Amino acid sequence: MKRSRSKASGTTDREFVFEFKAGKNTCVLRVPLQLPVQLNIRDLHGRLMLLHKIPCYIEDELQAALSAFMEEQSGLDFDREAELGLQRLACGTVDVNQLTSAWAASYAQTSLEHARPEEPSWDEDFADVYHELIHSPASDTLLNLEHSYFVSVSELISERDVELSKLQERQAAEMDKVMHELGNTLSDHDVNAVASQHFDAQQVLENRWANELKQVTAIQKQEYQDWVIKLHQDLQKSNNSSKINEEIKVQPGRLAEAADGGCRPFEEQPLLEESFTIHLGAQLKTMHNLRLVRADVLDFCKHRRHSSSGAKLRRLQTALSLYSSSLCGLVLLVDNRVNSYSGIKRDFATVAKECTDFHFLSLEQQLEEVQQAVLYARAQRCSKQKQPAENQKNGGDDKSKAAERNPSNILPGEFYISRHSNLSEVHVVFHLCVDDNLRSGSITARDPAIMGLRNILKVCCTHDVTTVTVPLLLVHDMSEEMTIPWCLKRAELVFKCVKGFMMEMASWDGGISRTVQFLVPKSISEEMFYQLSNMLPQIFRVSSTLTLTSKH
Amino acid sequence: MKPIRDAQLGAFTFFASALPHDVCGSNGLPLTPNSIKILGRFQILKTVTHPRLCQYVDISRGKHERLIVVAEHYSRNVGDFRQEQTVSPEKVLQVSYEVLEGLDFMNKHGLVHRALSPNNVLLDCKGNVKLAKFGLYHMTDHGADVDFPIGNPSYLAPEVIALGCFNPSDPSHSETPLPSGPKSDVWSLGILLFELCAGRRVLQNIEISDKLKFILTLGCMDDIVTVLAEEHGCLEIIKELPENVVELLRKCLTFLPSKRPTPAELLRDPVFDGISCHYSPFQKPVSLFSSSLRCAHLELPDDISDLCKDDDEDYLSERGIDEVYHLWCLAGGDLEKELTNKEIIQSKPPVCTLPKFVLEDGESFGQGRDRSFLLDDTTVTLSLCQLRNRLKDVAGEAYFPLLEDEQSSLPQSNSSNELSATVTLPLIIRERDTEYQLIRIILFDRLLKGYPYKKNLMWKEARVDIPPLVRGLAWAALLGIEGDIQAKYDSIDKDTPIPTDRQIEVDIPRCHQYDELLSSPQGHIKFRRVLKAWVVSHPDLVYWQGLDSLCAPFLYLNFNNEALAYACMSAFIPKYLYNFFLKDNSHVIQEYLTVFSQMIAFHDPELSNHLNEIGFIPDLYAIPWFLTMFTHVFPLHKIFHLWDTLLLGSSSFPFCIGVAILQQLRDRLLANGFNECILLFSDLPEIDIERCVRESINLFCWTPKSATYRQYAQPMKAGGEGIFGKTAIYFSSDYQDMPKTDLSREPLALCDLKAEVSPRISAEDLIDLCELSLAGPTKRNKSGKPKIVAVDIRNVEDFGRGHVSGSINIPFNSVFGADGELVQCPASGALQNYRGRVIVIISHAVKSAALFAAHLVKVNFSRVCILDGGISKLKPTGLLTVPSPQI
Repeated sequence: MKRSRSKASGTTDREFVFEFKAGKNTCVLRVPLQLPVQLNIRDLHGRLMLLHKIPCYIEDELQAALSAFMEEQSGLDFDREAELGLQRLACGTVDVNQLTSAWAASYAQTSLEHARPEEPSWDEDFADVYHELIHSPASDTLLNLEHSYFVSVSELISERDVELSKLQERQAAEMDKVMHELGNTLSDHDVNAVASQHFDAQQVLENRWANELKQVTAIQKQEYQDWVIKLHQDLQKSNNSSKINEEIKVQPGRLAEAADGGCRPFEEQPLLEESFTIHLGAQLKTMHNLRLVRADVLDFCKHRRHSSSGAKLRRLQTALSLYSSSLCGLVLLVDNRVNSYSGIKRDFATVAKECTDFHFLSLEQQLEEVQQAVLYARAQRCSKQKQPAENQKNGGDDKSKAAERNPSNILPGEFYISRHSNLSEVHVVFHLCVDDNLRSGSITARDPAIMGLRNILKVCCTHDVTTVTVPLLLVHDMSEEMTIPWCLKRAELVFKCVKGFMMEMASWDGGISRTVQFLVPKSISEEMFYQLSNMLPQIFRVSSTLTLTSKH
Repeated sequence: MKPIRDAQLGAFTFFASALPHDVCGSNGLPLTPNSIKILGRFQILKTVTHPRLCQYVDISRGKHERLIVVAEHYSRNVGDFRQEQTVSPEKVLQVSYEVLEGLDFMNKHGLVHRALSPNNVLLDCKGNVKLAKFGLYHMTDHGADVDFPIGNPSYLAPEVIALGCFNPSDPSHSETPLPSGPKSDVWSLGILLFELCAGRRVLQNIEISDKLKFILTLGCMDDIVTVLAEEHGCLEIIKELPENVVELLRKCLTFLPSKRPTPAELLRDPVFDGISCHYSPFQKPVSLFSSSLRCAHLELPDDISDLCKDDDEDYLSERGIDEVYHLWCLAGGDLEKELTNKEIIQSKPPVCTLPKFVLEDGESFGQGRDRSFLLDDTTVTLSLCQLRNRLKDVAGEAYFPLLEDEQSSLPQSNSSNELSATVTLPLIIRERDTEYQLIRIILFDRLLKGYPYKKNLMWKEARVDIPPLVRGLAWAALLGIEGDIQAKYDSIDKDTPIPTDRQIEVDIPRCHQYDELLSSPQGHIKFRRVLKAWVVSHPDLVYWQGLDSLCAPFLYLNFNNEALAYACMSAFIPKYLYNFFLKDNSHVIQEYLTVFSQMIAFHDPELSNHLNEIGFIPDLYAIPWFLTMFTHVFPLHKIFHLWDTLLLGSSSFPFCIGVAILQQLRDRLLANGFNECILLFSDLPEIDIERCVRESINLFCWTPKSATYRQYAQPMKAGGEGIFGKTAIYFSSDYQDMPKTDLSREPLALCDLKAEVSPRISAEDLIDLCELSLAGPTKRNKSGKPKIVAVDIRNVEDFGRGHVSGSINIPFNSVFGADGELVQCPASGALQNYRGRVIVIISHAVKSAALFAAHLVKVNFSRVCILDGGISKLKPTGLLTVPSPQI
């Protein structure tokens, strides 16, 4: 399919010849023209008249001749080019089969008429059904059902925790005993044996619980989905929905009872937060909301009991917008491995498991898919880089080398996305990979983490994530090296970069109003928080307050 | 645009291809989204009007690069009558002739259809052909800006297939193929006609690749028509066709493009001898601004009552398509909703389409191809029921308002009461009111048809408001554009490089780029041409940064008419920005700013005192305001409302706008110091523009005309305004336009001007405002004039020797203490009583009057001004009165 455009078919120089009579003299105008002509014929005509001081009585004549010439020449060009193409085909420079299959493929890929019919997707059907139900009187029932499932899972978890701690206690006691005997009757070898035995026992127990949890959640999910589909069918079947309404109404009571059991109170931390309304743009201004919050990143995920005030409303809000076009996102800073074994990743996984996800795959399964996508991406990149080797940038070299070392790892600035229906205020989690540079050194606006932030905001644009929570200092917890000047400097950088990206976003999505929440770690002092909240209006233009004054 | 008549409005949608992530253009700026490119290129299609083409009306951008095109539509197409057997040869000839007419007209405008297929050959009620979607190939830059190939595979010409399809997502094609020529449409027409004759679809139920291969193999055949007929088992039918139809088919289905005729050639072909006589060539309607006579082709029937015979009550259908669409939108029409209802727009919940993994450069993975992004080019008819329902109470007379009598106000109809009530509503609401806009659009349309004859009435109506749909032409009328502007524009050399090019090139991508139209590549090209044309044609003036902003509103409103944009700009600049674009414009600007600061002192002494105290002078913030007439600081939609009024005012109206803006920010300015003020103005906060307009009109009414006298303003136009000149209205006529007399203001050196806090007014103005004249008080309507009081500060003796009647005598030293504070005394009490009036200080020497005025401003007296030339100016007029001794 590759064709090199021949020199002749690009721009060609032609001569336009025009003869006219001025009195008894016959004049000839010769103009070299480049074809195809980019500019307007009327302009060209005006220029010729001006340049050659052509008398005005032949103005119309010249124009007619000029446009006739243009038409003729461009017609010739079209013909030549077209026949060149046909010739290439005839003499076999271009393969007919390849050509036609390329055409067929582009039709099949892009137009509904020629595309393969869509296989019905269960996920999307369920999404439609759920979206409809949650926006109906049945929503309360749905939420209560979800909550009752949540309660049973958390009961299971607390049972597991109890059993695990019991085991650990017992093992600790046993180990004490063994250590006591160490050197007397027992050797190092024996101690090791006991330790490994303990470890195995723990593993067995943990696995058993994990399996049980998995099973329970799978059953719950199935039950839930069946119930939702059935409810929807019932609702559709009966025009007279009074019976169904009763059915809906009966259930909450039953479930509410179930919900009362086993209260595990969540301690409510005093939350520091401040909101701003800002205007972006020089002439046309778009309004956005910013919020500065001092909280733990997982506070946005943790599912609270109904007992805590507002939790149910928040839950309803999240459920209502799950399949809408105003999603909530959260940026989680992770290391370069796609798993949930350590640190914040493990904490997050624990929270994500506290409640069954009735809509999406479990976090583990999602991470597996991500891992596949990462490997695929690396393979794609490698094959692409091999082709145009000269295109490789100097800076890209060691990065690609690092990736080559372990292709399943991700690099700073890259991120993967998980979807959740079971977190309290968040639908989408962006797992942004960062390295240790962020903790210590000072970074620039060119840092991969910042670029990652930009890409996250871009995905937010393309996928209607209208609320996004960003760790302002690009860390989840504070450490000693993070001094006050460090914090201020970092905050300023992130504020300014996010401002820039938000202005850029206005050109991507036409300036839809968004909410960006800046999150600072809980361990930060109140004083520091207010310093940061003073900084924000200096960087963003806060919209003027409407002052109502009486007319004087 | 042509009347909608029996046509419908149709909408179809498609997606522009997404840009590769994070690629910058050669100028280092981000690439323009493809949807914006398409939007810009689309605009010219709105001007392609021909009876054989479906009129394009509008394009709008949705989320995620979606585009929705609105065009004239008909529900029948030629594909429909293939179902019932073959079509008569006469009908085939008629269809082909009409299609060719359309194609020929398109080619004349540099357009190629490329997607010709039975679905796109629509038939109106009379069975005439209307080509649809003829602009798709053009607006998508020959298919480069969309993912889908343009054209139906069965109808593609062999050379189109041979040149390959361009798939932007496939990186192996670095080059775009050359666009298709006009002759490929002739092939498509041939296939289409064959189908009509044969009564069956060509190449149905065959894989696309096989279809295309079959078309390519036709090159080896001698007689393509016969081969096709054999292939489709209709050889008998084809053989029975009349000779001229078979000949036409042969000509269309010529394999080699060089041997195939163009639409223009085919139209002249003898096969059409029989029917071409039924068609008369299309006459392009004469535009408002041209050298030819607009009424040259107007033919009235012998019996005038024939015109009224039309007892059809559907007056709306006589309105232009664009008007109907505009009203449809106002009546609550929502394109996306219409398309969603017909399931053309189907969107998946975004949470289901998220990518799984994103690289540092923004490339995303693990995201399935979303089916809802596939092309479904079904055209959906937009129902006009809602609109008709909304307008059912509008009386028929409202569609034909009488413009005879200049005194008559809005059309007298049943709803006129309602309308006059609407006039009092805020502008934003009026602009969204369907009935009101209908009436206004019709009125302005008719006024424009009568331009320049109806210029005066136009001015009068424009004071009420200007309907957004006709704003471009209405502004041109207000600016007094006349003559063959297109010829003038064409004769300006806009191509030869000039030194200013670089600056223009830098400024354009920074000028009102939030707007889709102005940020499109087409917008940039037009910007460049109009700006260059202005620079080239005004050799005494130069390009100053800001000229681009000034050009923006005109270009936006007249996007398809560069000549008009140029003409408007050229008329606007001398009126409001006379000599602002001189190479050395400092004296003009300095004088302007000084007058502005006098205006601030005149209207808002407290603010003026504060700003002077902190040294926040107009030079620091107001230059971009005035140099660009506020186009640099406001978004387009606000500029429109501001300029609707500005264009009606005189050249001193901008001062009032400036003061009105300051007054909106008054509280914050008064509360802040220098630094905060600088910051505040570096990014001007939101301004309520309607309030700003209202207040500036009020300020303007309070300003004596000579107060804004400027030495460097545009000198009086020679010869006046001509026969169609507007009658001098107090507010719209310029001070400079008045004949200069002994009583007029004298030019003042800049340093002297700067030294004075308050403006001077001329003796003429004083006489006019105090209604002094030898003939006694005139019976002129007083309402429009400011209340005035003359304060004579000469000593009592001089005052007694002769003074302006009605003036009060407050000798200079009597009211002010040593520190300039107001002393409590009867004279100052009298002054206090006149607070709020225009106070004219009269004295022997202007200097003492200026000092007195400065003191008054210091103690927050507003509307203080000085009589230029002092009392001596008035002496020769004989208007001074001597009080009788007993008083």
